[in-house]
Amino acid sequence: MLALRPVQLTDLPQLQQLARDSLVGVTSLPDDTERLREKILDSCDSFESDVRSPGGENYFFVLQDLVSGRLTGCSEILASTGCNEPFYSLRNRPFSSESRELNIHHGVPALSLCQDLNGQTLLRGFHIDAERVRTPASELLSRARLMFIAAHPHRFAESVITEIVGFSSEDGQSPFWDAIGQHFFDLPYVEAERLCGLQSRTFLAELMPQYPIYVPMLPAAAQACIGRVHPDGQEAFDILEREGFETNSYVDIFDGGPTLHARIANIRSITQSRVAVARQSAQIDARGRYLVSNDSLLNYRAIVAELDLDAEGAVALSPDMLAALGITDGERVRVVAL
Amino acid sequence: MIVRPVAITDLPALLDLARCAGPGFTSLPANEERLAHRVRWAQRTFAGQVERADADYLFVLEDDDRQVVGISALTGAVGLREPWYNYRVGVTVSSAPELGIQRQIPTLFLNNEMTGQSEVCSLFLHPEQRHGHNGRLLSLARLLFVAEFSQLFGEKLIAELRGHADEQGCSPFWDSLGRHFFKKDFSYADQLSGMGNKSFIAELMPRQPLYTCLLTEQAQAVIGKAHPNTEPAMKILGAEGFSHRGYIDIFDAGPVIEAPVSKIRTVRDSQSLTLAIGTPDEQAPVWLIHNRRLENCRVTSARARLHGHSLLVDRLTAKRLQVQPGDTVRAVALLKQGQQAAAA
Repeated sequence: MLALRPVQLTDLPQLQQLARDSLVGVTSLPDDTERLREKILDSCDSFESDVRSPGGENYFFVLQDLVSGRLTGCSEILASTGCNEPFYSLRNRPFSSESRELNIHHGVPALSLCQDLNGQTLLRGFHIDAERVRTPASELLSRARLMFIAAHPHRFAESVITEIVGFSSEDGQSPFWDAIGQHFFDLPYVEAERLCGLQSRTFLAELMPQYPIYVPMLPAAAQACIGRVHPDGQEAFDILEREGFETNSYVDIFDGGPTLHARIANIRSITQSRVAVARQSAQIDARGRYLVSNDSLLNYRAIVAELDLDAEGAVALSPDMLAALGITDGERVRVVAL
Repeated sequence: MIVRPVAITDLPALLDLARCAGPGFTSLPANEERLAHRVRWAQRTFAGQVERADADYLFVLEDDDRQVVGISALTGAVGLREPWYNYRVGVTVSSAPELGIQRQIPTLFLNNEMTGQSEVCSLFLHPEQRHGHNGRLLSLARLLFVAEFSQLFGEKLIAELRGHADEQGCSPFWDSLGRHFFKKDFSYADQLSGMGNKSFIAELMPRQPLYTCLLTEQAQAVIGKAHPNTEPAMKILGAEGFSHRGYIDIFDAGPVIEAPVSKIRTVRDSQSLTLAIGTPDEQAPVWLIHNRRLENCRVTSARARLHGHSLLVDRLTAKRLQVQPGDTVRAVALLKQGQQAAAA
């Protein structure tokens, strides 16, 4: 069985392996021991802190095989963007080209660097082993974060965003980067993303063009990258889209990948999950698959379980499930249909 | 040859010149009605009936048989009636010292900085007359006119030189920039601007600076580059002290060259002299001479000798200028010193 839990310092060696395998563009998972150690400690502090309103806390989760102890994925929630450093994105909105005298009015799409997405909760750092892609495990890894938000709403903002990795070719070329970032950084895309993971993203963003970029002036290949998802990022996109997330007019400053957003009130795993009392049961007449979490903070756990769930009553869980969730008979759990 | 203000009777000759110049010469359209309007406006300008903002001094080059073979113009001021736009080619620095990154990004800044300056424009000389001093006379006559009537003009003179275009009249700069906002070919935009709609088209374009690295390579390559056809005009003005200081046309990226009026050779070196009639020797240098009149302005070039404050010219020259011995004229050597030596 797989369980999701907060990261611990002892996870460091395994995390480093995950970082090595992660997709370029998942910049929050740097392949650097010191940076990873800092991230883990920062996450531990975040779980322990007594939060009144969302700030720069970063909650880092790992997905672990409870039999082998192996880590098979990780994901993060930044409580609020723009607290420790500005959160930059490119806003894609038409520039209105107008002349009453010439009787012309049309919009020319333009990308402008902005901090419009400051102050929102950010889902990031989603990474799962290749063999677990498109299995219930990746649903768990992504959506257990939403159930965590449901359990601790005061720690998060009213709306949640995520940036999906944008298109790059197999040899690491990003046409979007080549058309824009390259001119301002003089760095290859892969190197820029690597630096982003190691350094603050802010001063990289400060190298980005401050004046609008008019989309029709870009090469066709770069235009095609605007809002385009990397094939390996498609699953992360699909999961959240099913949760009620929608694309908006913001794209990533480096690779043009789309941004998804949803208000807390519209997120399926938050609004449709319900809290119930757990009952230990030797025999479960499984009728469907569910995500189950324990609503705890420091000992937060979430699993995928086959359950027999009726509308209002208690939830029957096997001893293994209770153990994986770190709870005993009579405690409360949060459940939502997979 | 003389340069004089245009007259309405020149209209047939102007139409011939316009046809000869072709559609790329947008300020001289082969359209009788529009030409007539411009000529009448120029006549009012020379008569002192229009404000500086609207002044359009249109001159013609006429030979001794009263054939009009060229035109040139001078405006009182640009941008006082409707905005006058240029890009200035500047630099934006993109810097992250922690990463050792320091990039200088050429950037186009839209501006109206030429507002109130005067423009030399609309020069066209019939191809058969492109010899001797004709081109120089047609161009520099305007500068001598400014020297005489500097109160009618701005502090600077500017000239917008035509930018690079291919044989079909396509401008790579326009195709990479203006076309995205106007959604029409360069030639159409060019025709419209010739009809006085330039500022309307300009206002379709973004006000914020533009990074040149986002233009096509072909467009970047022609920024500030004049069309090869404009080279003779550029040479003449360059010798007078005009230079390119980073301003370009917003449509085709042709250079705007400029000079402070007081620094222009013809203005600075010209002097007021008393005319004497005689026979200048064969080695006498060629002078550019203005009769100091506004409405009956005449400018010509001729061999002349300077004696103290008196300028000796032959009888025909005085006749061309419609002046008598003892009248004062404004004159300057047609060529600057280095050029004199080369010409001799």
